[in-house]
Amino acid sequence: MATTATLTLASTDIAGDPVNVSKVATLTKAGSTNDLDQSSGLSRVHLRSTTNKVLLAANAEGDNLAAKVYVINKSDDASLYVTITINAQTIGKLYGGDFMFMPWSQTDTSASIEVAATNWTSSTGDIPVEYALFHEDTDFLTNA
Amino acid sequence: MATTTAQLILTSTDLLSDSLSLSSIATLTTAGSSTGLTTTSGLGRKTTTSTSQYILFDADDYASGPAKAHKVYLKNLSTTAAEYFTITHNAEEVGRLYAGDWAFFPWNNHDGSADIKITPSVSTSITLEYMLLTD
Repeated sequence: MATTATLTLASTDIAGDPVNVSKVATLTKAGSTNDLDQSSGLSRVHLRSTTNKVLLAANAEGDNLAAKVYVINKSDDASLYVTITINAQTIGKLYGGDFMFMPWSQTDTSASIEVAATNWTSSTGDIPVEYALFHEDTDFLTNA
Repeated sequence: MATTTAQLILTSTDLLSDSLSLSSIATLTTAGSSTGLTTTSGLGRKTTTSTSQYILFDADDYASGPAKAHKVYLKNLSTTAAEYFTITHNAEEVGRLYAGDWAFFPWNNHDGSADIKITPSVSTSITLEYMLLTD
């Protein structure tokens, strides 16, 4: 059972020589070569809140376990962004079309991943956001 | 204007009862515009031999503000599964990057405290590969 994540960064003109970085990771459980075996599946929400909403609720049992988070802002409008926050710390902003893929430490129940459509207004339209979680905690759903 | 793309492909034939095949491509632009990012740290490596916390990207070293679209790429080059880097943004632990794992995420250096820091899990030699693309 293997899930792979491949990232390719490419540019012909951001530097004097082309950039072409391609990396493959097999998603495994923490500190082992055993594959991650659980997923939330690909989900989609339509954000229209300028205040933080919980996208993925942290589970303290997830501390010290492996979890990977994928989030993409599916808006076609480059100016509309989604603010990503963990435990009141703004990690970054995903502008229209941007995605992220990163590990997630659920250090405690405050470490939920929250999102906000910070510059949304009633005239901008909703911001569609897709996300998926790959993780290893067998009790994740029952204890969430 | 430079054109830089980031593509993510997630695949699995057996995680779920149906195959997973997800592909996303993003053109990396400055905040809220269609203008491509024009600066990068280049691809770098940092080898550590201590479990101390290191500042990888100092928030004060890059243009800051609420409207920035910096992007961070990190990869743990270790081949020992138990070895990891803890990634921290300001004082918040974001996640652990185990051997072979990579991460790609936006970085909001909204103030001078919003450094990206790494903490190796081992005091033996371990190497992180990184690249910062800045707005």
